[in-house]
Amino acid sequence: MPQTASIGAKPAVLVIEDERALAEEIRYELQAEGYPVALAETRAEGLRVARAGGAAVLVVDRMLNHEDGLSILEALREEGNPTPILVISALSTVDDRIRGLKAGGDDYLVKPFELRELTARVEALSRRIPDSRATRLRAGPLEMDLVERSVRRGERRVELLPREFKLLEYFMRRPNQIVTRAMLLEDVWNYKFLPQTNVVDVHIGNLRRKIDAGGEPRLIVNVRAAGFKLHVDD
Amino acid sequence: MWTIDVLRSRAFRLALAFAAAIAAAATVVFTLIYLQFSSASEHMVGARLSDEATRALVESDDELRAQITQRLASDLLRLDYAGLFDANGVLLLGDPPSLPPIRPDGRPHLVDSVPTRGAGRPDQAIFVAVRRADGSILVLGRSLSEINDLRGTVARALALALAPTTILILVIGAFFARRAQRRLGSIHAAIAEIMNGDLKQRLPVKSEVDDLDRVARGVNLMLDEIWRLLDQLRHIGDDIAHDLRTPLAVARAKIERGLERGSTIEELRSAMAEALNHLDRSAATISAFLRVSAMESGRRERSFGPVDLSAVCAGLFEFYEPLAQSKGVAIALAAPRPALVRGDEDLLREAISNLVDNAIKFTPEGGRVLIAAAAADGRATVEVSDSGSGVPPQDREDIFRRFYRGARDGAAQGYGLGLSIVAAVAKLHGFCLTVEDNAPGARFVLRGDSMVFDSDEATRDIGAAAPKRLKTSA
Repeated sequence: MPQTASIGAKPAVLVIEDERALAEEIRYELQAEGYPVALAETRAEGLRVARAGGAAVLVVDRMLNHEDGLSILEALREEGNPTPILVISALSTVDDRIRGLKAGGDDYLVKPFELRELTARVEALSRRIPDSRATRLRAGPLEMDLVERSVRRGERRVELLPREFKLLEYFMRRPNQIVTRAMLLEDVWNYKFLPQTNVVDVHIGNLRRKIDAGGEPRLIVNVRAAGFKLHVDD
Repeated sequence: MWTIDVLRSRAFRLALAFAAAIAAAATVVFTLIYLQFSSASEHMVGARLSDEATRALVESDDELRAQITQRLASDLLRLDYAGLFDANGVLLLGDPPSLPPIRPDGRPHLVDSVPTRGAGRPDQAIFVAVRRADGSILVLGRSLSEINDLRGTVARALALALAPTTILILVIGAFFARRAQRRLGSIHAAIAEIMNGDLKQRLPVKSEVDDLDRVARGVNLMLDEIWRLLDQLRHIGDDIAHDLRTPLAVARAKIERGLERGSTIEELRSAMAEALNHLDRSAATISAFLRVSAMESGRRERSFGPVDLSAVCAGLFEFYEPLAQSKGVAIALAAPRPALVRGDEDLLREAISNLVDNAIKFTPEGGRVLIAAAAADGRATVEVSDSGSGVPPQDREDIFRRFYRGARDGAAQGYGLGLSIVAAVAKLHGFCLTVEDNAPGARFVLRGDSMVFDSDEATRDIGAAAPKRLKTSA
């Protein structure tokens, strides 16, 4: 993929999707976010481009024109290729999801999805949180001690409930990265469904009130039509 | 309606086979009788002749001649032979005209062709010959023509009896074949109509209980079930069509109006946003429908394991507490002890979450919501009650139907989708889901078999290990 290899700051994404219209939309959205994008329509083409290297994240449709997209994952994983893979699928049962992850997928998104949800997940995959054993997290003015379970913003100590602590930890491990509601539900609460009400927003609201006191600038910001972001200057 | 079909029918073929069997059996019986009869008569005749010949050996010549003459004279049917031959085989007196080719050993012999007295075909007879002291040979015999005649009569009787029996059996067979065919014909007709799409048609059933009736009844029950399922499917299809088309139609209208009349970017934007909203609703409906279908197809997933409903409720309480607070609704949890069931934790959590979601949604500010979990007498129960507007009695069945939207629609969307998923989860687990009057408000109750503990001690241990689960907040 010479034409897409590291043009900008963002890593390249290979989208293996046989539905032209959807593939184009995905490409448009990812490119708008600054990702170089390559498209492949068939299993063979996808495998070839993926093997050539250059893509930092793969987006693979599970059903490719009667071909099994999961076999791409299996083939790549068998060859020891560790590129993070996001599986998109019309199959939505828990079983399907488990099969997709077992085949080597790192994340699973069910059609129809919001394009912002997809880009957020691609971003999460491309950043891959380094498995840090650090007991302290730092993001902008925020400082978190994982052993003492304490949080400070600058000099001010912030008192958090356990669930708020977990929520903030998730954001602090992903500074400046879009985090969607579905991601929070899956990763923070381990819930595999979307509540019909804005519960997550209420949790975020509570957390915000505690970390942004007085006239302090807002750290967790809303990202329109996508979710939230812990906005800090590096 | 005696058609060729009757002859082809199973019943008639059975009759045919039956007739053949009867005929074969009768033939065997008659043959046995015939053989028995023939050999017995021949044996009797032979024995009598031997006896007489032996006795005649001691008679004087004159007396013997007189007896021969008398015997022949009294033989009106001309069945008996009695002859005296000299040592050279020349006839001295009586009948037959020449010495039969047998040894004079005093034992009965069958001679196939005896020169008869006068014209006529050679006779079959049994002869006994003895040599007298003077060298002459006495021959006594009896024709078998009488016996042969009897044999013929027996054979004819057999033939005469067999033919009408066979015909009778075939007639009866044809009669039953026709009857069976009439019933099969009506069944065929019914099946043809069913195949043409008239699923309300049923196979004819007679009052008598025979095997055909039993099959017909079975098929009818099967048709009832198919009809029920199809009806259900059609309803679901209608529901889906409605729930999908309505938001699609609205989305389409919004876009159309935006294109026609939207003159500013802002107007277009708002039209698009509204359209997107409705498209999302369609997507949510499809997802919910697929999930409910997958669950209703009834596979008990391998993911079933022990689930503590109290722990699930406690987690959800914590999850929803901020939302309730933000709405000014007091939410409370009463799950002091573990309530273990066998099930899929994720699905049960989603189901209870839907109930809590609804409860908070439908409870006005200042109201109360209670999440309770308990286990007693082998039953585990989860109750989610609110002080909202409640569910009118006439709607209490309907709200669990797929995608039902009660009068509460509009104010809060998604009510139907959520409850249909709760109902599907309950069904998958074999749990019972009901809604009761909470006076005021609604109380949703999910009840299932709890997992049995071996001892009270186990209960206490788990209870002690679990965090305190009796909380209230306002």
